[in-house]
Amino acid sequence: MIFFLILLLRSIVEPDTLTQVYSDIWEGYQANESAFSRLMTSNDMIFVVLGISLIIWFTLLTYLFITDKKINRLEKEFLATKSKEL
Amino acid sequence: MIPILEETARNLFLHVPMWMTMSTCFLIGVVYSVRYLSSGKLDFDIRAASVTKVGVIFGICGLLTGSLWARFTWGTWWTFAEPKINMSAMAMMIYVGYFVLRGAFTDEIKRAKVSAVFNIFAATTIPFLLYIIPRQLPSLHPGADGNPAFSDMTAPELRIIFYPAVIGFIGLGMWLYDLTYRSQKLEHQHQQNKLQQG
Repeated sequence: MIFFLILLLRSIVEPDTLTQVYSDIWEGYQANESAFSRLMTSNDMIFVVLGISLIIWFTLLTYLFITDKKINRLEKEFLATKSKEL
Repeated sequence: MIPILEETARNLFLHVPMWMTMSTCFLIGVVYSVRYLSSGKLDFDIRAASVTKVGVIFGICGLLTGSLWARFTWGTWWTFAEPKINMSAMAMMIYVGYFVLRGAFTDEIKRAKVSAVFNIFAATTIPFLLYIIPRQLPSLHPGADGNPAFSDMTAPELRIIFYPAVIGFIGLGMWLYDLTYRSQKLEHQHQQNKLQQG
């Protein structure tokens, strides 16, 4: 009997943490979800166009950098073989 | 225009030319592969490999831009219900296979021959994977169920920018191909010189 009373008391005193925790996560998730999408969908979704042009820019830029590095390496090797001949 | 697109209708000038440039690169690649097989000149093999490499870069651009566009118009980064994006991912896999195959050989002539044959196979899958099959199926892309991709819904003024954009991106692709080819050619000659000296 006393045990039940204690349980009852505890349930009254302590707040319902489980629901709170889960609802926090849910709200947090929704807030996270909308932070990025809100920006992207603002101004009639013009930022999506910006994002897509940036993707193309950076992919092509990365490719050009890789080619540049390769040409650098070839240049060095060519110079090395030339100095050997001399 | 379709209302959900809003300003993203402008992506037509960026996303679609990626695929056109990729197809052009792959087409040139297969022409060089055939010319290699008929003539046996290694120069054509280097050209085919370089132009295909640029095609794969543009294909990856197309996949990434398509994914971002899909997120904000269809609501998902990737969907397996959509035949065109899955087929294009498959086409990319086939072409990545081309470069894996090239890396697997040490003998130059063997590599050139096998990869030329593989390239012809890969190029024949492209029209089916990207054009014929997706057009027969219901799809979120325009041009599904046998409809034309440009229709009455599409604003006619888009064409004025779209066609120059396609030409521009193909031109950019050709320039990248030229750079790649020249560096590959130099590397090839450098290795030949090394072999002769050693």
